[in-house]
Amino acid sequence: MLNLYLFQILNGLGLGMIYFLIAVGLTIIFGLLNFVNFAHGAFFLLGAYICYTAVSLTGNFWLALLIAPLVVAALAWVIERLLIQRIYHLPHMFQILVTLGIALIIQEASVMIWGPVGKSVAVPELLRGVLVVGDFVYPYYRLFLIVFSGLVGLGLWLLLERTRFGALVRAGSESTETVSLLGTNILRLFSMTFALGVALAGVAGVLFAPLRGAQPFVGPEILGIAFVVVVIGGMGSFSGALVGGLLVGVVQSASLMIYGAMAVVILVRPYGLFGRA
Amino acid sequence: MQRRTLLKASLTAAAALSLPLSVRSAFAAEPFTFYGLKSMSGAFASYGKFADMGSRLAVEQHPEILGRPLNYKVIDTEGNAGKAVRKVQEAIQQDGARFFQGCTLSSSALAVAKEVDKVGGVFMTPVGADEVTGKDCNKATFRWSVPTYGAIRQTMVPLIKLLPDAKRWYTITPQYVFGEALLEGAKTVLKEHGLEHVGNSYHSLQEQEFSGYLTNAISTRPDVLVLLNFGSQSSNTLRQAVNFGIKERMKVLLVWSAGLDQFQELGSDVLEGVYLGAQYWHQVDTPLNRELVKLTNAKYGINPTYPLAADYISTKVMLDSIIATGSFDGPTVAKAMQGLSFEGPTGKESIRAGDHQVIKDYYLLIGKATADMADKDDLAKVLSAGQSFPPVDATGCTLA
Amino acid sequence: MSEKNPLPFAKTQSKAMLLWVLAVLIGLPLILPSATLASEILIFAMAALACNLLLGYTGLLSFGQGIFFGAGAYCAALLMIHLQWGLFTALLGAAVAGGFLALLVGALAIRRTGIYFVMLTLAFSQMAYFVAYTLSDWTGGDNGLLSVPRPQVRIGDTVLLSLADARAFYGFVAVLFLLIFIGARRVIASPFGSTLMAIRENETRASAIGYDTRHFKILVFVLSGAVTGIAGALYAMLLHFVPLSNIDLAMSENILIMTIVGGTGSLFGSLLGAGSIVLLGDFLSDLWPRWLMLLGVILILVVIFMRGGLWGGLASLFDKVRRSRKASVVNKEHVL
Repeated sequence: MLNLYLFQILNGLGLGMIYFLIAVGLTIIFGLLNFVNFAHGAFFLLGAYICYTAVSLTGNFWLALLIAPLVVAALAWVIERLLIQRIYHLPHMFQILVTLGIALIIQEASVMIWGPVGKSVAVPELLRGVLVVGDFVYPYYRLFLIVFSGLVGLGLWLLLERTRFGALVRAGSESTETVSLLGTNILRLFSMTFALGVALAGVAGVLFAPLRGAQPFVGPEILGIAFVVVVIGGMGSFSGALVGGLLVGVVQSASLMIYGAMAVVILVRPYGLFGRA
Repeated sequence: MQRRTLLKASLTAAAALSLPLSVRSAFAAEPFTFYGLKSMSGAFASYGKFADMGSRLAVEQHPEILGRPLNYKVIDTEGNAGKAVRKVQEAIQQDGARFFQGCTLSSSALAVAKEVDKVGGVFMTPVGADEVTGKDCNKATFRWSVPTYGAIRQTMVPLIKLLPDAKRWYTITPQYVFGEALLEGAKTVLKEHGLEHVGNSYHSLQEQEFSGYLTNAISTRPDVLVLLNFGSQSSNTLRQAVNFGIKERMKVLLVWSAGLDQFQELGSDVLEGVYLGAQYWHQVDTPLNRELVKLTNAKYGINPTYPLAADYISTKVMLDSIIATGSFDGPTVAKAMQGLSFEGPTGKESIRAGDHQVIKDYYLLIGKATADMADKDDLAKVLSAGQSFPPVDATGCTLA
Repeated sequence: MSEKNPLPFAKTQSKAMLLWVLAVLIGLPLILPSATLASEILIFAMAALACNLLLGYTGLLSFGQGIFFGAGAYCAALLMIHLQWGLFTALLGAAVAGGFLALLVGALAIRRTGIYFVMLTLAFSQMAYFVAYTLSDWTGGDNGLLSVPRPQVRIGDTVLLSLADARAFYGFVAVLFLLIFIGARRVIASPFGSTLMAIRENETRASAIGYDTRHFKILVFVLSGAVTGIAGALYAMLLHFVPLSNIDLAMSENILIMTIVGGTGSLFGSLLGAGSIVLLGDFLSDLWPRWLMLLGVILILVVIFMRGGLWGGLASLFDKVRRSRKASVVNKEHVL
């Protein structure tokens, strides 16, 4: 019995790591750009689909894991330059409307390209099978997910804390005016950040593909998870996304509870667990 | 003598009354429109696409019907029950629509059935909710698919026979009316055979993460895991179950599979050795199915899937009944459809008069290994087929 | 931070506006192929109007309108089915249900501002959906509530009008819409309305002047919820059916889209928005199964080129016409 609870917690943490990946891009985008991205779930599903195509063409999941986020990032860069840059200054309701529009376009385009029925992606050869410790059974692939998400999170943290780019992003979250006055090409910083945030959603899509396949209509569900995590953790906070993600992963089984938890957190802590004004 | 005169007189009167109509139709040949309710856009677009293809195949066999050109109009329900009902109301009021076929969601079908019944039309649907031929049945509505009772009986009972050593059974159930109905059926069957129901996991209709439920299942060490969910939820449960190595520890049965398109999506790696319940399978050898496979391959280059077959045969039955009765009058056609026997994709099928349910086979299949596949659609083979339906008085249907 | 509206507002008292609304109400069933479609447009226009009271006038972006819409529908249906309540009492019940839930949601949600306020309403919307889906004994769960009656218009025992005919029902909905429209205009024009707009522009200043902004926000929420509840009840009577989808997040999104596309600058915009989105959906879905892609493009185009929505577009068109007429008058004077 204790084993079962331990398992549920471990599994929840594993899921939480992926939820963290889904959400951290959204929180970075909001933190620096004060931009509400309702297309986040759409980029997730795009990542899954590009993974499927890459795997169909090359038979190599690892290659797909590399290619898909890059493709998603490239697409996001283009969209940001053409469209998103024009609406940063607008009230949130217009940002929501535009990104909803982008999400619809991506969703329907996926149906046109890959058909309305979903696609499957096989678990890579290397990671098939389960780890058995007594009564405890856990797939190697899920263990990989935990480790990989952790590595990505670590890499991201290093990027934010130890590189110039990261410093600019963090500084820009405080005050974009100051950063641009100090000489940074603020527009380029915005584009890179948007592309990075969205690419992370794409990575999450690829990682989830062997577990959920590639589906055109999962956007809203993924967006919902991302927002719950980000709001609980605090919009714009990296550690918030991590803690929020883990919390949601563990609590996840009763869906009512996660939205209830979200409401409770906002009411108790104005800016989420780790957010700032 | 008197009766014959009366008869002659009434025949002459009828001929006189109908003459202007037949003269009119000979000159005007006003087209007759048949309405398909398909979820072409929205979350259920994959179902709607095939359903529409099926109806079109049936419609194309009759460019003219009873001397009038046959028109087929698709109403996009957008996967939304509210839109479906409003569009049906519009078609009824504006265009005098009376003949409807389709619907993907049970909620849409139940509400549409009421609207069509109000105006004395005819509506045939493949949705699964028991209420369609149960407590919400009506004289205008017919249903092709096998509801929960048959789906459970024609999968679990044969499986129990195939696996005599399987004593412990675990279920995963979506928590709502339809899931509950499947669960009740499953529990009854297990009790009848003296088998142990070692546990059940409920989940919501939005759930996509099943690892928790799968581990619960594994911990109870069942011989068979029975999935009572369907659609993308069942696909994800299967994918995740395979990932957990469940197939090495127990047998898996998916009671309500979506058939070929779901199998194509999952692939043989996931499906191998999994027991699958299905409403239709393209490899079943019956006269109509052979014809349907030929037609579908000729026109669309694919094998028929369940939505395609279901809406093909339903449309065909409705059109054939119109032709057989020589009438476009809803109640007349509905009456003719009651008790009708016809060649369907599963063989000889018939419409039960008491609840307008089509009596047909439900299949138990098993997923094949990649090496055993003769072609890319040869993903499963039929293990058993049969008909199980609750008696009419047990359905809660009272057809006035 | 509140949602500021970047464009000028309509002169809400203008008689011309009222005439325009009347023209639309009369013209709708004549132009459109069916009265049922016209009724659906007015019902959503009501919901969009209620949403606009929050969004356009108070600066509150609420993702919770579906809660009140669905609750109104369920409440009216249950009252009519189980207690045999009549038309007006069921509508009243729906208004109370919508208003009461709006009181709860509003009171909690306004404790936060900006994006957190928005997310709170989103969270409540999802919770309401799960509650509706779980309490299936009351709501019919996934199947919804069937055989919802459409009661007659009656005073006491005398039947004035049966609403069974689609056109009669449209007439009833149109009258209700007109009354709500006039009522909403009164509210906007009143000191209460001015305070709402002051809160939208700068809440800190408004409260510094001495207004208890919380009370105002909660009140407008209740008003919005009540009107949305009535719209939901009418929808239930239109369809004879209450689907679960009435209370899902997509419904809230749709209402918001109609409000914004129509133009948050005026109540008339809500009528335009509802009409155009419903008609667009019908028209496009007949042409192409992938029509949602076109809707997405339109949403983007509206934000880029026509932020004031259809109302804003029309208003600036009229402005141009007026200005060019003035210019030609001036020119003539010079020539003469």
